[in-house]
Amino acid sequence: MVEADNVSMKYNRCKQYALEDVSFSISRGEFVFIVGSSGAGKSTLLKLIIREIKPTAGLMKVFGKDISRLPRRRLPSLRRSIGMVFQDFRLIDDRTVSENVAFALMVTGASRRDIRKKVPHVLGLVGLQEKAKERVCDLSGGEQQRVGLARALVNRPSIIMADEPTGNLDPGTALDIMNLLRSINLSGTTVLVATHNREIVDRFKKRVIYLDQGKLIGDEQKGIYTHVR
Amino acid sequence: MFVSGLGYIIGETFKGLYRNRWMCITSTGVVVVTLLMLGLFMLVNLNIDHITETVKEQVEIVVYIEDQAAQEAVNDLYKQLSEHRQVEEVTYVSSEEHMRRLQMQLGGMLEGYDSALDNPLLASYEIKTVVPESVVELAEEFETYPAVSTVFYGQGYVENLFAVTGVLQYVGMALMLGLAVTAIFLISHTIKLTVMMRRKEIVIMKYVGASNWFIRWPFLMEGLLMGLVGAVVPLVILYYLYQYSIEWVAGNNLYFLSLLPAEPVIRELAKYLIPLGTGLGIIGSTFSIGRFLRV
Repeated sequence: MVEADNVSMKYNRCKQYALEDVSFSISRGEFVFIVGSSGAGKSTLLKLIIREIKPTAGLMKVFGKDISRLPRRRLPSLRRSIGMVFQDFRLIDDRTVSENVAFALMVTGASRRDIRKKVPHVLGLVGLQEKAKERVCDLSGGEQQRVGLARALVNRPSIIMADEPTGNLDPGTALDIMNLLRSINLSGTTVLVATHNREIVDRFKKRVIYLDQGKLIGDEQKGIYTHVR
Repeated sequence: MFVSGLGYIIGETFKGLYRNRWMCITSTGVVVVTLLMLGLFMLVNLNIDHITETVKEQVEIVVYIEDQAAQEAVNDLYKQLSEHRQVEEVTYVSSEEHMRRLQMQLGGMLEGYDSALDNPLLASYEIKTVVPESVVELAEEFETYPAVSTVFYGQGYVENLFAVTGVLQYVGMALMLGLAVTAIFLISHTIKLTVMMRRKEIVIMKYVGASNWFIRWPFLMEGLLMGLVGAVVPLVILYYLYQYSIEWVAGNNLYFLSLLPAEPVIRELAKYLIPLGTGLGIIGSTFSIGRFLRV
């Protein structure tokens, strides 16, 4: 589903590589943690997968296709197949919970009927049905992240990618969000979580890809964070 | 029914304007004030042009015919003058007509004077030229024609008039261009600011898989509407302001200020302000949104 073959990435005006010769393969339905300290290259890796940036060298394949060669007009289709969850939630503050979720459906040209059906369903999945009409700025951090998850889920993507999804949350709420991601994964969706939350990684015992200063230094099934170094 | 298409664009345009109403009102306000200033200046400039053209049109050449000239020579002179390419109109004024005009100007001073018996005034041709600025050159040429006694065109006064009107027109044009450039700069930056305030929304749209045109259209429509409102409001204000000025000028007997009629002038302004407002709205939005779409 996601394949990196000697992928390197160097940003303009930077001397060091953000990623260097990284290779791995992620299959359909896997739950993978991408771990490492700040600046290890986790976010760069996610940006490469969603084709926000192109690799400087190497081959990055998503859904079996070299996404560096993907024409710009095909990018929306790629991104609709990948649901993104962000540390800072990236919600539109002056809109309601429903509107934020419906937004992701609208861009695909979904019908009103479809939107009316899918939005309450996905809000039910993340436990926010009761808050559908509230503005997101009135919600707690955990609730806002649930809205972010609902938005990522509503188009039924094949992959969910979360960049530090628990970074702004207290431990209890962080665990709730991770449990939600686990249940999403159990329904067959591939889940990639970039994090440096040691507790969460150790608790879930899933596949862990370790990055350090742009290099892949480990890739373990049922790995734990403490194995780094 | 699908949400995409025209319905979506129109819906999102108005929702966007409503959600960001304060920013949109501020931006439109900047467009209104800028175009009002530009429109006001254009209005003044058009009228200065009109007044100077009216004054220039009054400039004419008077060719006095020699007293002893034979009728045939006088007829030849008329033919020569009226067939000249730079002459628009030739009017014959007899010596009796000159005397009558003089008597009217002087009032009772020439009372009892029998002009039929002893009229020293010469008959003349009054000539309107195609281009008022050519009077000096033409007057010199007409002086060389046979049967011409003297040529008068308001020597000295005409040269000064053309110098002053020329400077006025150039200064007006330069100031108007300066103001237009300022308006373009100010409006496009205000629209850019409106788009920048919503960059988060644009980036989120890109992440959830919106196509560039899907994002761009509502912003373009918003830019167009802001530009359109920003141009129409000053036109309405200027129309009433100008109408009032015309009435005030007429009411105060300032007839030398021959102002242009309101409706054609405002129509002329609309030809510039509406494309400028809407064009800047669209172009400002397109350029501003471009860099956020490269995600």
